[in-house]
Order: sequence, then structure tokens, then C-alpha cells
Amino acid sequence: MKLKHVLTVFKKEVKDLIRDRRTIMSSILLPMILIPLLNIVMGGGIQKFEKDINENVSIALSQTSDTPEINGLVTERILAKNGNIVLVDADDPSKALENDEIRCILDFEDGYVQKLKDGKPVTITLQYDESKTKSRTAADIVSSAIDEFESEIVRERLAAKGIDLDIMNPFEIQLQNVAPNQKGNNMMLEMMLPLMISMLVAVGGIPAATDLVAGEKEHNTFEPLLTTMPDRGSLLLGKYFAVTLFSFVSVAAILAGLVFGYLLNPNSLTMGVDSQVYGYEIDPLAAVLALIITIALGMTFSGIQIALSTIAKSYKEAQTYLSFLMLGSMVPAYATMFMQASDLSPVMFTLPILNTIAAFKMILGGNIIYSNLFIALVASVVFVALTLWFAASIFKKEKVLFRS
Amino acid sequence: MVVAAGLEKKFGQFTAVDKISFKVNKGEIFGLLGENGAGKTTTLRMLSTMLKPTSGNAVLNGFDTQNEPEKVRANIGILFGGETGLYDRLTAAENIAYFGELNGMSKAAIRERSQHLAEAFGMQDFMDKRASKLSKGMKQKAAFARSIVHNPEIMLFDEPTSGLDVTASRDVQDFILDCKAEGKTIIFSSHSMSEVEKLCDRIGIIHKGKLVECGSVEELKKKYGNDDLEEIFVRLAGVR
Ligand SMILES: Nc1ncnc2c1ncn2[C@@H]1O[C@H](COP(=O)(O)OP(=O)(O)OP(=O)(O)O)[C@@H](O)[C@H]1O
Ligand SMILES: [Mg+2]
Repeated sequence: MKLKHVLTVFKKEVKDLIRDRRTIMSSILLPMILIPLLNIVMGGGIQKFEKDINENVSIALSQTSDTPEINGLVTERILAKNGNIVLVDADDPSKALENDEIRCILDFEDGYVQKLKDGKPVTITLQYDESKTKSRTAADIVSSAIDEFESEIVRERLAAKGIDLDIMNPFEIQLQNVAPNQKGNNMMLEMMLPLMISMLVAVGGIPAATDLVAGEKEHNTFEPLLTTMPDRGSLLLGKYFAVTLFSFVSVAAILAGLVFGYLLNPNSLTMGVDSQVYGYEIDPLAAVLALIITIALGMTFSGIQIALSTIAKSYKEAQTYLSFLMLGSMVPAYATMFMQASDLSPVMFTLPILNTIAAFKMILGGNIIYSNLFIALVASVVFVALTLWFAASIFKKEKVLFRS
Repeated sequence: MVVAAGLEKKFGQFTAVDKISFKVNKGEIFGLLGENGAGKTTTLRMLSTMLKPTSGNAVLNGFDTQNEPEKVRANIGILFGGETGLYDRLTAAENIAYFGELNGMSKAAIRERSQHLAEAFGMQDFMDKRASKLSKGMKQKAAFARSIVHNPEIMLFDEPTSGLDVTASRDVQDFILDCKAEGKTIIFSSHSMSEVEKLCDRIGIIHKGKLVECGSVEELKKKYGNDDLEEIFVRLAGVR
């Protein structure tokens, strides 16, 4: 094996791939534009939705309750203090609720005036539609508004009887956040970033791998290549590094896209759920370890991809195998999506993909356990060696290379 | 010079090439003649070290296929029939240069050689065009140039004219004769009698993996008392 040969093959393959519009589209342009765009659009949508849900709570009174007195009571004692709730005049409230014109219907029990005077409980029925998020949330908002109204009445009644208000509050609850000050806490980022990076590294080399072996066989360029001086190991390594490079190109493209999106609209990074990304204190050593683990993941998958591309009898078949690989790598990525740094188990650090995700989650979580990172590192190196050995043994098989 | 000594290739139980021996001298064209599946391609693949012989070996230009496969490959040029096998996204010049570089040539040597070949084949106008944009004839010229960029001593052609029209076949045959004129050792496979008769100094007839006859065209005609090579071939193929 000669380094010079490896380099010659590597340079040619990179040049060849860069000239392939399909590869450039799917490996660079698409991830660079699509993900941030998706985040901005989705983020904007989520934010708008959240705002709408809390701010435009429209309610109506049921037909039997739609009297001037109740109207006045609701307007003065409930709406006055809750600017986000509006009372709408609806001829047919049930229909209006069905058509999303209003979100809930208030119904006051008959003879409520007398009951209120007598200090007897009055039933207020709140009709809402459980199947609609907006209606469900509105019901919560309106019930708390009514709760406030209720406490007010209680206070008035107690005051009238000359009783101290403190009797109503035997406990005072104080919430204290003990999480370290500098610790960032952004669920969305901790969920999405590790997932995206490991997924992309795992699948980013697929177009390149398909092209570099199955594609060569399909275009009859493979046999002439094999008759040139370099041994098969050098040819394989040149191709292997080109595929590895391309598995990182997508990641770099996405990260660049995310940064770009963040500069355009800071909310895009977190889909608008929690717009602040601050306080992340990244440990440099841990970050370097995570980077090495990520590179190893890219190499591991390049090895598998090259092997599959070699085994395949045609370009189409290679594409099929590799899309299965892609689906396979999505399973662990999505399965651990909602895990937080504190949920990570040491076993995760021994498995490919999972260990990269775990490493990033750990780093973002801020509580670094170095022994776990080292386990991940060792496991990664083992996987790189295993898959490269696998690819090499496939690449040297006459049966696989010359199928006629 | 090429010496094949008892080359045998088995794929599982099946013997594709059965202990073939022959010798081709420098400046000579040796034709491997055989029907479909006779074992021509397999033989050429063993000579070019792509397949490992089950037994026997071959020595090309003094290098053993078993022990010095890299040196063997550096000394051979190959042209296979059908597709030209150029990289579509590389230019003609880049295709040629890539094979030069793989075969250990320096940048300067490649530049000089490419220039020479471009002139020799009349490729100056399209050296910098991508292979995908070339006509069939242009591609063929580029493939010729690529196969001899490193000026190999030995040329292996596997049915180089299969699927080509008359003029293109002519070009290939002229190319083979040019290689001979330069003193290269040439082996080429074919199932066209007339082509073999026209080009070859000596021929080997291969049937079901066995080399059933070997000699110059004249010798064979004399031995079988027949002026028609095709008839000799059919007889040999029928007998076994
Ligand atoms: N990789 C392989 N695995 C199994 N059998 C093979 C392999 N390569 C060739 N063979 C078989 O070996 C025999 C010889 O094949 P080969 O390609 O050498 O014939 P050929 O003379 O070149 O024929 P053609 O004129 O069709 O090109 C055939 O029967 C073929 O099916
Ligand atoms: Mg053949």
C-alpha cells in the first residue's frame, strides 16, 4: 500500500464527486438550506400558534345565560382583569364553537343571582372541545380567570365577616431553582443537535459510496482501474477517505446553515420554542473527544457503505442497500431523541450512533463523565477497524468484484 | 514477453480455464480465439493480476503475476471491448492523466506524454472536454491514449472491436498495429476469424477452457490441410 496512490485516488474521487450535481445537491445545498428553512418556518409557526393560543381567547355565553346582567358581570369581573379573553356575541354558540369562531361557552346556572346572594355555590358550566388544542387551552385560561373571580368573592365575604385573610393561606410555596447558574437549558437544542449531527454523519457518505464502487462497476470504469499499478488496498483507502470526507460535508453544510439561519433569525435554531441559546459552557477536552468520536462514526459508516456498494450487483441495488442502512441508523437516533443528559446509560457509549448522540447530549448537558467518553472513544476505534477490515475483505473478493 | 505456464482458474467446481500455457514474444501479436464462455476474458484477467490463478502462473516482462503483481500492472495496458470505461465527469485529459498518475508517472512526464498522444490521435480539440460530452469516436481515441499513457511494454485487448461499426473497428485494428510497430507485446482476444487472421502473428484456439491449438496462421493451415481458418476452428471445437 502506498500513500501516494491513496492520495491520487482520493483527489480524483473528490474532484469527480464535486462535479456531480446530484451529490452536491443532496450533500451540500439541500442540508444547508432546507434544515434552517424548515426551522424558521416551523419555528415561526409554533411561535405564532403559541401566541394565538394565549392571546385571542374568544368565548361566548350560552343562549340561556346571554342576559344583560351576566354580560355585565362577566365583562366587569372577569374580562376586565384578563385582557386576553374576549366576549363574543354569538347567535348560536354551539355552532360557533364547532366552527372555531369561539373557543368555549360559559353557562351560568338558573337563579344564580339569588344563590350568589345567599352564599350558595353557583354552577358555571364551561363547554369546550377536547379535540381542539386551542379550545382546550382556552378552557384552562378561562377556568383560572373564574378561579380568580372566586377568590375575590371569598375575600369579600370574609372581609364582610371581619375574618383575617391569612386564614386562607396556611402555606406559602416558594420555588427555588438550584440548577447551576451558567448551565444552559434548551431542550430543543439538546434534542435536535446530537440527533442531526449523528444522523448526518451516518448517512452523509451514501451518495458518494454508491457512486464510487457500484457506480464505477456500472460505468465499466472499475476494471480498467483495477489493472493500474496500485494495489486494491490503496484504491479502497482512497475511496474510503473520499466517502468519509463527504459524510462530514453534509454536517458542515448543516451547521453552516444553522449558523446562517441563527444570524437571520435567532429563533430558527430552536424552532422558536425557547429562543434563548446561552449559558452553554462547553468543556474543550470533552468537545475534542466528541469530535473524534464523530469522525470515527463517519469512518465506521463509510466502511459499511463502501462494503455494501461493492457487494451490490448494480447501482440500483446499492441504492437499495444503502437506504436500508439509512433507515437502520434512524432508529437509534430517534429512539433516544427525548433522552436527556441525566438519562444516559454507560451501555449507550459502546454502540455506534448512540455513543455519538450520548457524547453530544452529555456535553450540552454540562455534566461530563470522562470515563464514559473514553469508553465511547475506544468503542469507536474498534468499530472503525472492524468495518474497514470488513470493507477490505469484500473489496478483495474476486467473487464480488467480477460477477458476470 | 509474456509466458503463461499452466494457468488454471476454477470458479467453485467449474473450470473456466484449464492449464493453459503459451508464450508471446516482444513485438508479436498473439490472438486468443474462442467462442463465448471459452475462457478468454478469464485468461486475460489472470494475466493482468485481477484474478488469482487456481494453479500455474504467468510471467510478464520478467515479472511474476503472483509475486510482483504491481510491477506486472505497471507494465501492461488494457483495452476492453464494449464501453470505453472513461470517467464521464472528468475531461479526456484528466482521464488520461489519472491513469498516468496511478501508474507512477510524474506530472511533467504526464504532460509531455499527453501532448504527444493528443497529437498522435488528433485529440487536441477535445482534450479539455468532459468525457460525457464526447462522441463515441472521440471517447475511443481517449481510451486508446489512456491505455498507453504509461507506455507499457505489454498490451492486452479483450474483444476490443465487439459492438463497434466498421470504421471504429478499423481504428482499433490500426491502433493494435501501431502498438506492434512500437515493439509492444500484444495479446488480444476475439471470436472473429477474419480479424485474427488479419492481425495476428500467432493464434491460440481456446475451447471450454482448454488451449486446443497454438501456432501461426500458416502453420495451422498447413497442419489441417485447410485454407479456411474458420473451418479449422469449427473442427477443433466440434471434436472436443
Ligand atoms: N466470476 C465468475 N464466477 C463464476 N464463473 C465465471 C466467472 N467469470 C467467468 N465465469 C465463467 O467462466 C467461463 C469463461 O468465461 P470468460 O468470460 O472467460 O469467457 P470468454 O471467452 O471471455 O467469453 P465471451 O466471449 O462471452 O466474453 C464462462 O462459462 C463463465 O460463465
Ligand atoms: Mg470475454
